[in-house]
Amino acid sequence: MRRHLPGLLLVAPALAIILFLFVVPLVGAFVGAFQTNAGFGFGNFVKTYQLYSRDIVFTILIVALSAILTAAFSVAIGGYLTLGSNRLAIVLLRWLYRWPLFIPFIVVGQILRTFLAKNGLMNNIFVASGVVSPLHTFGMLDWRGVVIAFVWKQVPFVTLLLAGAMASLDRGTIEAARNLGASRLRILIEIVLPQAAPTLMVGLTLSIVTMMSVLSVPLMIASQSPTVITVDMAFRINAYGDYGVANALGLISLVLTGTVAWFYLRQTMREAAR
Amino acid sequence: MNMLESRYPAVSETSGKISGRAAAPAFLEVDGATVRYGNVHVLEDLSLSVAKGEFVALLGSSGCGKTTLLRTIAGFMQPVSGRIAVDGRDVTRQPPDKRGMALVFQTYALWPHMTVAQNIGYGLKLRRKPRTEIAAKVAEMQTLLGLEGLGGRKPAALSGGQRQRVALGRALAIGPDILLLDEPLSNLDARIRLTVRHEISALQKRLGITAIHVTHDREEAMVMADRIVILNAGKIAQLGTPQEVYNNPASPFVAAFMGAENVMALTAEVRGGKIGIEAGPTNRACEISCGDRSVSSGRLEARFRSEAAELLDAAASPPVSGEALILDGTVAQASYPGGVWRHVVKIGDQQVVVDSSRAFASGESVSVRVPSEALFLFDGGVSDAKGMAL
Repeated sequence: MRRHLPGLLLVAPALAIILFLFVVPLVGAFVGAFQTNAGFGFGNFVKTYQLYSRDIVFTILIVALSAILTAAFSVAIGGYLTLGSNRLAIVLLRWLYRWPLFIPFIVVGQILRTFLAKNGLMNNIFVASGVVSPLHTFGMLDWRGVVIAFVWKQVPFVTLLLAGAMASLDRGTIEAARNLGASRLRILIEIVLPQAAPTLMVGLTLSIVTMMSVLSVPLMIASQSPTVITVDMAFRINAYGDYGVANALGLISLVLTGTVAWFYLRQTMREAAR
Repeated sequence: MNMLESRYPAVSETSGKISGRAAAPAFLEVDGATVRYGNVHVLEDLSLSVAKGEFVALLGSSGCGKTTLLRTIAGFMQPVSGRIAVDGRDVTRQPPDKRGMALVFQTYALWPHMTVAQNIGYGLKLRRKPRTEIAAKVAEMQTLLGLEGLGGRKPAALSGGQRQRVALGRALAIGPDILLLDEPLSNLDARIRLTVRHEISALQKRLGITAIHVTHDREEAMVMADRIVILNAGKIAQLGTPQEVYNNPASPFVAAFMGAENVMALTAEVRGGKIGIEAGPTNRACEISCGDRSVSSGRLEARFRSEAAELLDAAASPPVSGEALILDGTVAQASYPGGVWRHVVKIGDQQVVVDSSRAFASGESVSVRVPSEALFLFDGGVSDAKGMAL
């Protein structure tokens, strides 16, 4: 025991921080989700189901659609950076695609709110260029706006990881396919993407967790019903001080992200076992 | 007759050693190719012609341009000038897959997410061959390369030698006219390398396929190739059969690259088909027939291999039989690498390495006898291996 003491002392501060700032609040929220005025039970979950089941489905759909679109754009950008032949386009793309990484979600919400509104910049441009008549302008401050904001913000992040993975592939595997006559698209889909897939999965998993936790964007763009879980949680706490239902919603979010993480872990462990 | 033999006509009997000066019609032709990386000229106005069914090795040290030449032939790099033709057809601007060539990469570049069978069959899949035909061809390749029963494995579960054969199978499956090999043996264990050498050249002879093999290993090139192209700084230093480049090196660089690392400066006078070497501080006067050598009077550079020279006791008078250069020196060091004793002999302020069947003690006075046929003579003073005057 005495032998281990210095080591334990060294790790103690870090351990304490994890315990008090991470484990304790998490357990507190977990327990809180089952605490009602009538003692422990599933009352909060019943209430959550009655009030917010639609929002939960809405959240899943929005996040899933955003993740799919993010994956598609990231693969396209990463693929062009890896396989593209126009040097200038590659340099330009490499320089441009990272910008949104440095813009906070709240600012993205603000930018897109003024851009996507019925009388916003997007419609003004459409009207000015004669694409749409002033009577037919359309706002996208609903689920579409949220998806656009999420994709806008997450594509650079996933692309950053994915393009790195693609760039570090053995170039020979790409050239061997070219040598046998594979087109660029086939090389991307059949050679590059399968090898970079684990990294894409990491990027998407982290993105999904991020999107599940963003409050500012849905609050600014689409806070009407239906909305996403984070908005409901904020509403329960700010309007009613109802921590029970908020905790239940939080736990449901955790289960959703946990499921994604579990699929990812299972996949990586399978790959490792091979 | 199986599919392979029908694809590749049986030329195994005829594809013997083809001489460097063979008048065989060119199948692959590189004509005045200049290739640049940025502003650096990697290949300078390089021309090479390869006959059908020939095995040519591109030999050189790293940075000499051998891989660049192979990649230019393959179509992964474009020459700024010059042309590349296959069977009379200009392919200079053709993409890699339209040249009838298949490249085997140094790293093998197998696709890790595909099985052995999928790797081998991918080229056929791209050509939209029916599934049964692909399966048949893959099975045939596996049999040909000794990969039976491994079709379902991923490359990560294979040994280095097996991966190498899968890479070869993937290249051969599409029935290319020309097989390009980019140092395919450099990632193998030394022992496996020796057997794979013979496997590849036997396979090449059997299929009668034209092959171009990049290597920095002299012995590998000697054993495998019909002709060797020795490259130096983006130019062909010499081109010929293994015997020609070994026995008649055209320049000090080639001589050094082919193992004649011992170098001496001499003064000589050429008259009447004889080279009269004047006595120097460390060498005795002697007369040697010109033979194939084309040297002129004045300063000469002499090169010879350690195993081609003879070490004699200085006290014993050297045998007079045969033309030979005699150098006088003292043994500086002796070691036993196996088979023979290797001596470092100090001759004047220079050192040479000479093998001998018996050991001489360090400090012993000796004579080094280099027979005429093992002595390479070149005009000019002593130069280093890169062909630059010291």
